Amino acid sequence: MVSMIEFESVSRNYGTKVAVSDLNLEIARGELFALLGHNGAGKTTAIKMLVGLLQPAQGRVRVGGSDLVAQTREATKLIGYVPDQPFLYDKLSGREFLQFVAEMYGLDAHQVAAHMEREINRFGLAGFVDDLTESYSHGMKQRTVFAAALMHSPQVLVVDEPLVGLDPHSIRLVKDLLRREVERGLCVLMSTHTLTVAEEIADRIGVMYRSRLIFVGTVAELRERHKTGDQSLEAIYLQMMHDHELVGGARQNGMHAPDAAMLQDAAR
Amino acid sequence: MIESSELPPASLPSEDREAQIFWRARWQIGRAQLQQHFTTARLRTSLVLSLSLLFWSGLFALFYAGFDFIVKHVGPPGEHYHAQTVQFVFHLFFASLNVMLVFSAGIIIYGNLFHSPETRFLLTLPIRTERIVLHKFQEAVLFSSWGFFLLASPMMVAYGWVVGASWYYYALILPLIIAFVYIPCGIGSICCLFIVHKLPQMRRVIVGVAAISVIVFAFDSIWRTVSSNQARLFGKDWFEETLRRFGFTQEEWLPSSWLANGLLEAARQTPVAMIDASRFDLPVLQSCMYLALLISNALMCHLLTVAAGKRWLRSGFSSLDCRFVKARKARVSWLDRIANWILSPFPAPVRLLLVKDWRLLRRDPVQWSQFLIFFGLLGLYFLNVDRFNNPTSDISYITWLNMVSFLNLAVVGLILSTFTTRFIYPMLSLEGQRFWILGLLPIRRETIVWSKFVFAALGSWIPCSILILLSDLMLQVPLLVVLVHQLTTVLLCIGLAAIAVGLGATMPNFREPSPSKIAAGFGGTLNLVLSALYIIAIVVLTALPCHFYLIADRSSLRDSILNPQYLRLWLVAGTGMAIVVCAVATIVPLGRGLRAFRKLEFI
Repeated sequence: MVSMIEFESVSRNYGTKVAVSDLNLEIARGELFALLGHNGAGKTTAIKMLVGLLQPAQGRVRVGGSDLVAQTREATKLIGYVPDQPFLYDKLSGREFLQFVAEMYGLDAHQVAAHMEREINRFGLAGFVDDLTESYSHGMKQRTVFAAALMHSPQVLVVDEPLVGLDPHSIRLVKDLLRREVERGLCVLMSTHTLTVAEEIADRIGVMYRSRLIFVGTVAELRERHKTGDQSLEAIYLQMMHDHELVGGARQNGMHAPDAAMLQDAAR
Repeated sequence: MIESSELPPASLPSEDREAQIFWRARWQIGRAQLQQHFTTARLRTSLVLSLSLLFWSGLFALFYAGFDFIVKHVGPPGEHYHAQTVQFVFHLFFASLNVMLVFSAGIIIYGNLFHSPETRFLLTLPIRTERIVLHKFQEAVLFSSWGFFLLASPMMVAYGWVVGASWYYYALILPLIIAFVYIPCGIGSICCLFIVHKLPQMRRVIVGVAAISVIVFAFDSIWRTVSSNQARLFGKDWFEETLRRFGFTQEEWLPSSWLANGLLEAARQTPVAMIDASRFDLPVLQSCMYLALLISNALMCHLLTVAAGKRWLRSGFSSLDCRFVKARKARVSWLDRIANWILSPFPAPVRLLLVKDWRLLRRDPVQWSQFLIFFGLLGLYFLNVDRFNNPTSDISYITWLNMVSFLNLAVVGLILSTFTTRFIYPMLSLEGQRFWILGLLPIRRETIVWSKFVFAALGSWIPCSILILLSDLMLQVPLLVVLVHQLTTVLLCIGLAAIAVGLGATMPNFREPSPSKIAAGFGGTLNLVLSALYIIAIVVLTALPCHFYLIADRSSLRDSILNPQYLRLWLVAGTGMAIVVCAVATIVPLGRGLRAFRKLEFI
């Protein structure tokens, strides 16, 4: 398997608060990886380092073999990024925005025209793509940003809370699209709180808890580890968080690690 | 996804291509904005253009009269005193703008690069880092230079006109301005990038150095003013002392000096005999040499800004985004208790809303720091106002005193009007987003509007009143003027608060979360214009009768138009008229606002 995304012992702190601690993770081509975790667990910080917005305090992040700090342009040209809060230029139309993004990735006029038609059809933008984006609803903005992220046919797609603000039709569209593109070789890292979606479409999941990645594997492996039978991912996840809160609390109260682990087993 | 026809292109755009893409986007954005201005916001656009034109013309007339005075009463062009005076004016003016441009460019580039969703977006695209910096730097230069152009161009044109400058003087104005503006903007940008880059390591040092510099500068300037020997108004000693005090603005290494010298050289009349004696003394050549100096330094600043951006933007952005923000504990402070006590005469619902607004203001440094900076600078200026030892019977001294003291009053009013536009006018629009809680409270809607009015009027009256008192004490004006000023301050605060709250309630914008964007809309512009007109009306109504009343028994015109009985009546009538204008400016907008707010439907 060819790793498209590599986090190598990555740490990042906010002053004295550790946001991401010793993150080691590889995601392969043709894989959809869902990153789960509560608010403040470190998911968004990890994503920001992956798309070049933040620099790791320690470790390295690579995309397609290129280091995000030393070879930023080479790395980011492989990425399409859909942030949780979409940015669009208010006074550009959707079409002008898509053209701007596509040309920044080096597409020529012929490619821009072809890819634009493809994305307009795929995301149903035809009805409003020539209006100024300031008139768009949140869902329309989200679809336009998705289209922009896919304009240059990226090898890696990074999506932060992709389904927030989308109507049921668009949610179905996005889920189908992600799955289809992954089958064709796209590498997707998706951060989400919508556990049912992660369970439905992710190949592997990662769970972050207080800056650390505490689980990486398939949903089946998670069930196996926690011996939870056919329970939903949501139920397993909540149980997992509960266990870690217990262990964390016990450690804070001075209990030794083996005892805390026993407490975790007992709680399970 | 990875079909052969859809493979990503091998090469990213070249530097030139990147620039073209940015310029095209900028052109498209500018075109869309212009179309909107001329289709949906025609009234606002024409209002802004007319006011800018009016402002330009007013400045031009002022400078023309000033330079004309110099030519007629100080000396014609070529004379020693003329040259000395004009050099003083040009160097001081451009040196002041030089400093302001450094700060404004630094602040703009900070906001544009480190607090802008656009930069956050651009940093995730495979764009050269230096291109992002250049794109934002060009915006900062544009924003800074239009203000500079609006202020400086009337002075330049007026001077050229008065001294009969040749065509090349006018032709050189624009290139000289552009080349000059680039330098302080570049310095401001480089300083901003460096400070943000070094912020985590140097936070305390930077804050400490800035605080100590401000304290030393303020103390030094106040001490010089207070300790200096009082001279006669517009006397030789005063003139020489003023030249000496601002001599540093004529230092040869300052870019503002290159601009001033370039302009003055271009405006210089060449004696015919000199052309043969020294070919290089041609004014146009001398001016072009200063232009070349400015351009070469501007290009150097450009290169340094690009290099600094390439080196420091991403690391600075990352460290700024990752700085630790300590969670602030919300608790009732002694300030809240004092506010509660002061507001105890008001009904409980109004008091609760006022205390809530006070807490929001107190906990938002962006709001009160701007207030503090502007009023602090005004206070510093008032403490530095020159005082003279002219006899109190000197009519020109009394005229100067009255004029400066009332101008100070008008300036405080104008600054207050910008604050009511920026902070008070958007308040009700912002409340609309919290209306799910306010609307459910057992209070009348009018109470919300009234509470905003009381908050604005009371909140602005205390600092304005103190500032005006400070100005009067420094100028040592008579008691009558102090009393008139204090009354005028009350009228200004009440009227300006009512206009802002009334218009804010009549034209709320519940869709826009940003107060600055709400203030920049049509309602905000109208508020600013009406406020300015109101200030002019109130100050003129109170200043003129007060001034003539004070000079009545000292003027030779006493027997004709300056009859004391008539003037006493004028003073009373003027004050009464000011109160009536204040009542109208309070009741009309507030009444309309209350009616509109009562009928509003919230979504």
